[in-house]
Amino acid sequence: MALPRAQAAAVLISVAGIGISIYLTAVHFAGVVPACPASGAINCEAVLASPYAVLAGSSVPTSALGIAWFAVSAAVWTRPSGWVQVAWSAVGLVGVLGLVFVEIVLLGVICLWCTAAHALVLALMVIAVAART
Amino acid sequence: MTAKRAAPARKQPMRKPVAGTPAWVAPSAVVAGVALLVATFLIIRWYLTPAPPPPLSSDTTTVVVTQITTLPVSEFDSVGQGTANNLLKPVSGTPMTGVTGKPEVLYIGAEFCPYCAAQRWALIVALSRFGSFTGLKTTSSSSSDIFPNTPTFTFHGATYTSQYIDFRAVETSDRDQKPLETPTAAEQQVWTKYDPAGSIPFVDFGNRYAFSGATFSPDLLGGASWQAIADELRDPKSAQALAIVGSANLITAAICKMTSDQPATVCSSSTIQDLEKKLG
Repeated sequence: MALPRAQAAAVLISVAGIGISIYLTAVHFAGVVPACPASGAINCEAVLASPYAVLAGSSVPTSALGIAWFAVSAAVWTRPSGWVQVAWSAVGLVGVLGLVFVEIVLLGVICLWCTAAHALVLALMVIAVAART
Repeated sequence: MTAKRAAPARKQPMRKPVAGTPAWVAPSAVVAGVALLVATFLIIRWYLTPAPPPPLSSDTTTVVVTQITTLPVSEFDSVGQGTANNLLKPVSGTPMTGVTGKPEVLYIGAEFCPYCAAQRWALIVALSRFGSFTGLKTTSSSSSDIFPNTPTFTFHGATYTSQYIDFRAVETSDRDQKPLETPTAAEQQVWTKYDPAGSIPFVDFGNRYAFSGATFSPDLLGGASWQAIADELRDPKSAQALAIVGSANLITAAICKMTSDQPATVCSSSTIQDLEKKLG
């Protein structure tokens, strides 16, 4: 049975998020610079080379957490919309706000790829809330 | 006959229409809340960003440059590699010589770049052990990049003379990212060969060693004056000395490899000899 339009969109957005997170994780482990400007206020290299780009005390990139979050999101959105989607999206949004705080306040630069992933989390939150109301 | 009266239609109770919240309100509130938080973060950042330090006068610059280019040998020996990361990698290419035919150290960077700002301190300290600079001026990295306003010097307009090596510096942009200098085709080729990502700073030691990036974090210099950093370099236990002098020692070891350990007064120290072995 086909998924309702909002659910289908949410699944697609989650898959796009998995794609971006896999790219950022691959870039981290390959030790290469992502396709992104590297000077001025937009500087993916500066963000991804910062201590905040890995989970504390490990070499696991934060983007690996993104893969897991978007994968769970994709699974959750195959079920009819409800509070589960709202709660999961809220968890993601809190994490995103923490990362945006690091980028803007602590580092003073923005990573375009990370921002794309953050925008997808916000879109999922909006869909979840809209579906509930 | 009683007229059968039609039963009056039962009066339906009036239902007050429910004034439900429009569906768009909650999602819009989420977006507005996020936008408000991001705006707050931007204001905090603007409030925390230090103003760019005014460049020093030429007299004061001379004092600071003299101070950092006449560090005692004991300072270099005490620090060793310090906290500097060894980013230097052996490379194999045609030995590179400069305009006077001596082995050349090639630096490619930019004035806006905070990593270049940090690395220049170590380059100046190290290169001054083999020759001397004139015309160095103070500047700071971009105000809108990571590690804003990192105090440093610029190689643009400076000259370097040495009886052992040639030094060629290319500052591609000023601190406002306007074009400044352009590497030659040969320099561009070397840069692309050993640093395909085109990162700056890029430093090549006669095509024997090369590295890109900074060997220590520019964060160590943030908010400090040139004079304060120069003073800290005299204390081998300071964080700045451990990073800058440590990095200078690594650079010195690479140059000593280029010059066949000349001059002996610099290259024969056990500190430099040990670092030369580390470089491979």
